[in-house]
Amino acid sequence: MKHRLVCLFLLMTTLIFAQEKFSVSGTIKDQKNGETLLGATVYLKGTTNGAVTNEYGFYSLTAIEGNYTLVVSFLGYETVTKEITLNVDQTVNFEITEASTSLETVVIEAEESERVSIRKPQMSVSKLNAATIKQMPVVLGEVDVLKSIQLLPGVTNSGEGTAGFNVRGGAADQNLVLLDEAIIYNTSHFFGFFSVFNADAIKDIKLYKGDIPAKYGGRISSVLDVRQKDGNSKNLEINGGVGLISSRLAVEGPMFNKKGSFLVAGRSSYAHLFMPLIEEIADDKISFYDLNLKTNYEINENNRIYLSGYFGRDIFDISQFIKNRYGNTSANLRWNHVFNEKLFSNLSFIYSEYDYEVILDFIKLDWISDIKNFNLKYDLRYYANDKLKLDFGVSGITYDFNPGIVRPSDPSSTINFRKLDQKRAFEGAAYISAEHKLSDKLTAQYGVRLSMFSRLGGQALSNYANNQPVVYNDEIGIYEEGEEIGTTEYDKNESIKTFANVEPRLGLSYQLNDESSIKASYTRSVQYVHLLSNTISVTPLDVWAPSGEYIDPQKSNQYAAGYYRNFNDKKYSLEVEAYYKNVDNRIDYIDGSNLIGTNNIETEILNGEARAYGLEVLFRKDKGKFKGWIAYTLSKSEQRALGGIAGGPGINRGNWYNTPFDRTHDISITGSYDFSEKWKFSANFAYQTGRPVTFPNGQYEYDNLSIASFNQRNANRLPDYHRLDLSATYTPTKNKNRRWQSEWVFGLYNAYARRNAASVSFTQDFNTGINEARRLSIFGSVIPSITYNFKF
Amino acid sequence: MKKYIPHLLLVFLLTTLISCDDPIDVELTEAPPRLVIEASLDWEKGTAGNNQTIKLSTSTPFFDNNSDTSVTGASVKVTNNDTNAEFFFTDQNDGTYTTNSFVPILNNSYTLEVAYNGEVYNATETMMPITGINEVFQSLEGGFDEELLDVNITYDDPQELGNHYMIRLQEVGDLFPIIETRSDEFTNGNVQDEFFEKDEDDDNPNNQFDPGDSVNIKLFGISERYYNFITLLIEQYDSAGNPFATTPAEIRGNCINVTNEDNYAFGYFRVTEFDQVDYTFQ
Repeated sequence: MKHRLVCLFLLMTTLIFAQEKFSVSGTIKDQKNGETLLGATVYLKGTTNGAVTNEYGFYSLTAIEGNYTLVVSFLGYETVTKEITLNVDQTVNFEITEASTSLETVVIEAEESERVSIRKPQMSVSKLNAATIKQMPVVLGEVDVLKSIQLLPGVTNSGEGTAGFNVRGGAADQNLVLLDEAIIYNTSHFFGFFSVFNADAIKDIKLYKGDIPAKYGGRISSVLDVRQKDGNSKNLEINGGVGLISSRLAVEGPMFNKKGSFLVAGRSSYAHLFMPLIEEIADDKISFYDLNLKTNYEINENNRIYLSGYFGRDIFDISQFIKNRYGNTSANLRWNHVFNEKLFSNLSFIYSEYDYEVILDFIKLDWISDIKNFNLKYDLRYYANDKLKLDFGVSGITYDFNPGIVRPSDPSSTINFRKLDQKRAFEGAAYISAEHKLSDKLTAQYGVRLSMFSRLGGQALSNYANNQPVVYNDEIGIYEEGEEIGTTEYDKNESIKTFANVEPRLGLSYQLNDESSIKASYTRSVQYVHLLSNTISVTPLDVWAPSGEYIDPQKSNQYAAGYYRNFNDKKYSLEVEAYYKNVDNRIDYIDGSNLIGTNNIETEILNGEARAYGLEVLFRKDKGKFKGWIAYTLSKSEQRALGGIAGGPGINRGNWYNTPFDRTHDISITGSYDFSEKWKFSANFAYQTGRPVTFPNGQYEYDNLSIASFNQRNANRLPDYHRLDLSATYTPTKNKNRRWQSEWVFGLYNAYARRNAASVSFTQDFNTGINEARRLSIFGSVIPSITYNFKF
Repeated sequence: MKKYIPHLLLVFLLTTLISCDDPIDVELTEAPPRLVIEASLDWEKGTAGNNQTIKLSTSTPFFDNNSDTSVTGASVKVTNNDTNAEFFFTDQNDGTYTTNSFVPILNNSYTLEVAYNGEVYNATETMMPITGINEVFQSLEGGFDEELLDVNITYDDPQELGNHYMIRLQEVGDLFPIIETRSDEFTNGNVQDEFFEKDEDDDNPNNQFDPGDSVNIKLFGISERYYNFITLLIEQYDSAGNPFATTPAEIRGNCINVTNEDNYAFGYFRVTEFDQVDYTFQ
């Protein structure tokens, strides 16, 4: 730590004695709609001196005095050049135009143009833009960000109808999902069938599977950074679509005298409009909707303000039975300030909330739960010189956890009012990281994140006999709740427990030649909040819990190395990465644990550990009429929990066992073919080793019922999962040269009608008493879809 | 209450989506057989409670659930730990062991001892009281579906927290009972109600309750440990494999093998008081 600071200091001092150098900086935008472009490359021709635009389209370059040609390139856009004389610090803004064939060109982009990505030390990152995501075949025609990233190596989920996603064998709660910097706690609508991200409002997404930059923290598996569009600052534009499940409308346009712009995008399912027509479900309502908002105002060249918001809801009303509502709310106010050509800053004030309510009519119970956080953060980037760029900043998050309030839903209810303990916490962090060109071939990215977490008082905590919230019952061989021996009251201003951690991050890139490089990275990360979930897949009713007296922060070390190569004039590229990671303090649940409505969660869990390793291969073709990629992952993901202070051998007798996210083989193939101006075809194929599950190893009779007995956790597997999806896009030719643009998208999901098992249940036939295994397939047949999209 | 929620999620999925469900062949590992002790000493309110039966059997491979697994030749004894009275159960050579001299005493502790194949199993439980069923009635309102008949019982929950209940409904002519459990965690001190409703079924269109159908409902006072055991058992029975269910696990009852710890027995030794009512739908 100390050593590293000294290094940084030395670097800073060398800057002072450098030759006479000047900087050029500016913003790069799309000429047509004024959207700032993230990830565009700017470099000085004939040198290796280049930069990539940040999240706000800003770049800065520094070079020795002289005449240069500035080259701006971005995949799918015309390359622009400009002669500059660098004898003074200057601002050069660009507006670049989409390449003429671009409607179909962009498939998947590397982080930036290949020229720099080979060199850049950042690894384990994938970027997709909205255009790419929109053209992939999807279930029922609903464009889906989360389904798209599952076609990348190392990303899976538990199949149809399950929420969340798993990165490199990690759990869903280990992903930091950000929508315009705001934490999104639940990424799915409809229990996982559709994602909460409306593709019409999204500019692009970036997924870090490892080598996570120091500016991100708080989750140990991945970062999914989703950015909303700023809104067209040149013209009013309307996008929309009508699909089988939902309809969408997005309006964007200039504001404040073209000094700013706005975007309002809405999406809603509409099946509930027809439900009253069908007698059996006339009183029921099932729907979801989203609202995305964004606006920005350019005060002057150096100051810009952004305001963005998101609101989403799911509604399930089954009359006489259950009412369930849940959703995310987020808002973010940002201030971009350019101090000078070399120093860019952004200050953000962010609010996020996730809440749900369940009313069980038949027992007259009303249940609500939520998590809220405020986040203030300040991020700066200093473009020191052509060899060194520094990122640094601070962040503070306050959390409010409300695990549950139970109320009677009407006066005749037998339910008593009850409130589970509210919990509060503060998470603070400071980071600094450098991207440092050490030589012509070797580039490093190194930094450190200092994080702290304080579980705040204002509540009482239970104490347990022998300090054991969970005790091993030696006689029966099971884990049980510990004996409560009183409580300790903590004052509101008191900290129940505070943690502090140093999280070093390191990435190295060595360029072998113009077309290939090798990279290696190490990431240490710490996670202080945990999603409590002991079900096979994550549900919207799972509750988040902070670290504290009885729950330790999860700590992960990830090591990765990779080989990257472009072929054949950059038509093809190959990425191969291997990783190993271990996680300390992964929460594991005792057999038969009960989490819903449990106040003292510590009586249901043990602190375990996890490890995962794998090899990922991504081969892709980015240019030409036929584009696409093949992704293959070979991996292993395991966990175990020893008895520790609770005594006993541990969960699953203390043996390592497969996590539910373990997939030995995972293959994804996706491709698109531009047949003609009118027709474009796409296909996806996915194959995965079946999900680990626990099957019975016997049965016995108890009270006349045949009871299955189970042994080792997750020792069995579902049948292998595979599926083919097809889609065709028809663009009428009369579109040309007119303002109203439209297209039809026809889709076939699960084209060969594979009955993939979502689960296998072992049941006793109610009428015959015979035991059998039954497969539940969410989609047992081909699912056709049709969507109409328009834009004017 | 708690266990409802995951089940409901699945119901949504099934009723609202184009899912399908079909039998498949699965190869399972086969664990060696274990002794199963179904020792349920239940004392009906207002009776002497002298006649009691304990069933012994063995476990089998999962798909082989129709063979005769009754265990004979064991010796079975129950001791009241408060009075030291001993009750010996007679082997009926069909897997059941009976006595007609049992003396139930509320809140007394009892120990079961089973000797079989040279190994000794034992378990200890306390006899839990029950307040009794207040009333039984049928209704259309309430329940999941307003067009289906349901049957309701009400009973009083005592003032102190920590009471646990099991309600067992057996329709005359049905192969299997329906078992529900309740804790007073969210409803302490109130009048409790419990309803049963049966849905139509693809294989059996007359599955729902109709006028003329008869049911027997039993309400048991049970210990917290038995509540944990039977709740998990029923949950796994109803939902094995449901993606929103908890990961299934071996369910351990309270029967310990004192000779060979690893060769524990399945099942449970429970001692309860219960109330029952028969009802015929009008």
